[in-house]
Amino acid sequence: MAIGFKDIKAKYRELFVVEKSPEEKNKPKDIKKMAKDFWYGKPHEERRLGDLYVGNTGLYKHREWRGVKDTMYYFNMIWLYNYAHMVTDIMKYGGGPQGVVTFAKGTMRYRWMGQTYLTVMHWFDRGLEGTRGEAMKASAWHYRGMVSETIRQFMRMFEADKKLNGGEENETWKKTIAHNETLSGNIFYGWRDQLDDVALEMIPYFVSVHVNNHTVLNYIDAAQSIGLPADPCPMCQAEYGLFVQDDYPDYSPVMLTTNEACDGSVATSVLQDWFLNRPLYAMPQPMRYDDPLVQKNCQKEIEGAWKFVEENFGIKMDWDQYVKHAQNFNKLTEFEWEKWDVAANTPYYPITGVAQALYRIYYSQDGDRPIWHEMDAHVKRIMDKCVKNKIETFPKTRHRAIAWSCAPLYYSHWCTWAYNCWGINCVINMDSLMFDQYLRTDTYEHALEDLSWFNEKAPMRAMAVGGHEHILSLFDYMERFNCDMVIMYDQLQCKGMQGIHGVFEDEFRKRNIHAIWVPHALPDKRTVSRAEIRDIINDYMTTVMREEPLDPSLLDFDDGGSW
Amino acid sequence: MKDLVHIFELEDLLQEANNPLVRQAKADGRRALGYTCYFMPEVLLDLPGCFSVRLRAPRSGSPDMATYYMTNRTCMYGRCLLERALEGGFNFLDAEMATETCTVTCRFQEHLQLMDIIKNPDFFCEFTDVPFKKNENSIDHYENQLRFHVLDKLKEHFDIDTSDEALLKAIEEHNEVCRLIQEIGSYRKLDEPTITGWEFSVIQLCTLVCPKYLIIDKLRDIAEQLKTRKPDAKKNYRVKVVLTGSEEDDPDFIKLIEECGALVVADRYCYGSLPGREEIVIKEGETPLRAIARHYLETSECPRFMDQHIMRQRKQYLADIAKEYKADGIIISQMKFCEYWSYERTIDTLIIPRDFGYPVCSIEKEYVNNAVGQLRTRFQAFVESIELKKIQKEG
Amino acid sequence: MSKILKFFFKLLRIALLIYGILFAVFYYDLDGKFLYYIWEPLMIKRFDNMKRPDATAMPYSMKESVEDTSI
Repeated sequence: MAIGFKDIKAKYRELFVVEKSPEEKNKPKDIKKMAKDFWYGKPHEERRLGDLYVGNTGLYKHREWRGVKDTMYYFNMIWLYNYAHMVTDIMKYGGGPQGVVTFAKGTMRYRWMGQTYLTVMHWFDRGLEGTRGEAMKASAWHYRGMVSETIRQFMRMFEADKKLNGGEENETWKKTIAHNETLSGNIFYGWRDQLDDVALEMIPYFVSVHVNNHTVLNYIDAAQSIGLPADPCPMCQAEYGLFVQDDYPDYSPVMLTTNEACDGSVATSVLQDWFLNRPLYAMPQPMRYDDPLVQKNCQKEIEGAWKFVEENFGIKMDWDQYVKHAQNFNKLTEFEWEKWDVAANTPYYPITGVAQALYRIYYSQDGDRPIWHEMDAHVKRIMDKCVKNKIETFPKTRHRAIAWSCAPLYYSHWCTWAYNCWGINCVINMDSLMFDQYLRTDTYEHALEDLSWFNEKAPMRAMAVGGHEHILSLFDYMERFNCDMVIMYDQLQCKGMQGIHGVFEDEFRKRNIHAIWVPHALPDKRTVSRAEIRDIINDYMTTVMREEPLDPSLLDFDDGGSW
Repeated sequence: MKDLVHIFELEDLLQEANNPLVRQAKADGRRALGYTCYFMPEVLLDLPGCFSVRLRAPRSGSPDMATYYMTNRTCMYGRCLLERALEGGFNFLDAEMATETCTVTCRFQEHLQLMDIIKNPDFFCEFTDVPFKKNENSIDHYENQLRFHVLDKLKEHFDIDTSDEALLKAIEEHNEVCRLIQEIGSYRKLDEPTITGWEFSVIQLCTLVCPKYLIIDKLRDIAEQLKTRKPDAKKNYRVKVVLTGSEEDDPDFIKLIEECGALVVADRYCYGSLPGREEIVIKEGETPLRAIARHYLETSECPRFMDQHIMRQRKQYLADIAKEYKADGIIISQMKFCEYWSYERTIDTLIIPRDFGYPVCSIEKEYVNNAVGQLRTRFQAFVESIELKKIQKEG
Repeated sequence: MSKILKFFFKLLRIALLIYGILFAVFYYDLDGKFLYYIWEPLMIKRFDNMKRPDATAMPYSMKESVEDTSI
């Protein structure tokens, strides 16, 4: 079929040209205003970010013009800087230039890698849309930390991977501990100088869904194709599919698993055992974790895990290493508390809702790594500046929201949209509040005690199990963070949250709280699309709150095909 | 076969949770203690002065109020229990001895704590933490939990005697029920079983939901009759099957399977007797409570256990049962929205036929079983497929 | 001297040109468009056609306990 000039022109218009409305076209040109907009960027209400999208792809006809200063910062310090570091990190963690070869092998072997990771800059774009100044900078550092740590992990996996190394059990394979992503990395601090621990699912489907949600659908379908019903937690389904499709790297002689966060996670232990077929240690956490009587059991299971690692790798746990990393991790915790304090009590907090949520869950699950300290130092400088100079980072805030329960992974950046469109500023979320535990290191007993508490407060667990009082702590946090609105995630396949749905309805009514239920299916955008989520929020804001959108172009757009 | 003695009386007892025997025991001054899971040892709830009632919601319709609280995306068993509680059907309970062993029943029990549903001023709901492994650490932990959250609470609230002597007596009575159920169940192992799956499920369920001291005589009568009961001259089933899976407390479901020509010879599911009706053995040097804790962890075949060798051994256990009870196939039934059994069923469906050679019929059902027609078709097809395989084998 | 300067300016011009091109790639989201319209379809094709072993054929037989139960 011949492609004519008209087709090229149409394609060009589709991909690059932002169509103006007739009213805008007819407006007389105001050079002064144009210059001002060029220099400082358009005021929030005039941005029309929704016009920048290419069809349903989520791509931009052109990236947002944020004013000279912010655009150049974004270009140099976010876009260029991160692309460059994606290459240097691959070499850094891959042991030099040969790392590029390892990376290429992994990219060509694994769908979650080949289809996903190069699209990472769009992940930044989605999370940072509409942000300016310090909020843009601080949030971008959080993203940078996550990308770097992700590269470190997949490079370790690829280097050790039997599947990429002709079935050879190389030295790296022999020195890598595989564990369930919900088992915190801090369990392995005692070996961090000699072994490395990498969570099995963290990169292949958890991080990958955030970056590009297309890949995970293959795994969910694969799981259901061999008989799994559609209703279990789709995260666990995706893990099953990863195994069914033989798309997991074989990078360790052992596997350590846990029961966090839910029944589905317990059930996937069988899958790990079946498909990996190697020594597997289960380190379950007690369900009624507030009970003082359960702590001993939890501590002994941790000791059991340590013994398992010692026996399988022939390396004794190094207490000094544990102390070093635990103390380092405490520094991250202290800074997290500082962040919460600023977020709760001032309008100067410079992190977007999505960056806050993802960074927190990532580093606290992963444990102490140098990159987190580096990133926190950047963010601290920015946050201190905001507080000192009283910089309102989200000046169009109309509502301070708390997001509760587990978030839609394919639309974790909903909060960026909600702020741009409606001025809903998602100040804090449930996942950020997990792992709220200082690790004492003065004695072995104290260390073990705190470590068990830390693991009992793991994501989607601290609040979701162990009694209704934990999940209902929403109302205390709402007060603590000065929120006037709740975004109540409604994960349709989470039995724990579905099982307490009506109690929340009752409480919202009783307490006269504005709560918007956001249904979703974690990684699977087919169940509830992003557009449907936006519609629900739009409806609430117009019909209940009777408010006008800040940016009407964001009310209704199609991003069904976007990453 | 001649009708089993007491069987219709026992069937009647299953029509409501607050059945005549429960009412009688209450009138005798005993405390009714509800529970939902095998991990709450019924033997502890059957101490002198109280009795256990494993909760069911028979004759449930549409659990509308519970669906408001728990949505329609949770296991219907949990919802029907909440509905029954909201309707007042569990007001006879003096306490709910709860476990957080699966999410939805846990949420149901949390609603009892949170919402003042049970109209009984003495009512309380107490949770016990149940471990996920079978090692010594878990047994220690479980024993502590049972002492603090069950025995001490019963003593505190109802002044129940929880001494070792009382526990020994409870174990003795419990073991007698187990012996009788094992004896009754053993007739299912015969080449031509002299008890049907439906009859056995009615009897087994009654031991879970009625005060034991009021049904033990009936069990003895049944056991006695079975000694001489003869199978029908003409075999009225085509194949024998093991029924395994999640919660199942509906004898009519067993009847449905049997109407399709598959005699249910073994019941390896929640509320079944395999496991569940093994005698508690007190080892030398063990306290009764220790023995109980060990027994319940060691005997359970729940898919929530995570020890590597136990996860694998579960498959073997199922195959062993099929062999012991001379079954031709296995029906794996999963309550819709049961997270544990979603996986267990899918995996078993792949592994059991391949590694153990047993044909499997894998189904998903609701607590209120409205899909009778579809299931009947599935079971009939399964029976036919087993028969065909037999013919092919013989050929 | 003028040669060095010339070379320097040439280098600067090339650097500026590359910088300008990169800015155009950034501003017009050409990286995204390349990955979306060209790279990802290629990868999808590759992974959809990849031969994969039947992972469910993995045997699931009995195993000894991996832990000392005295813990």
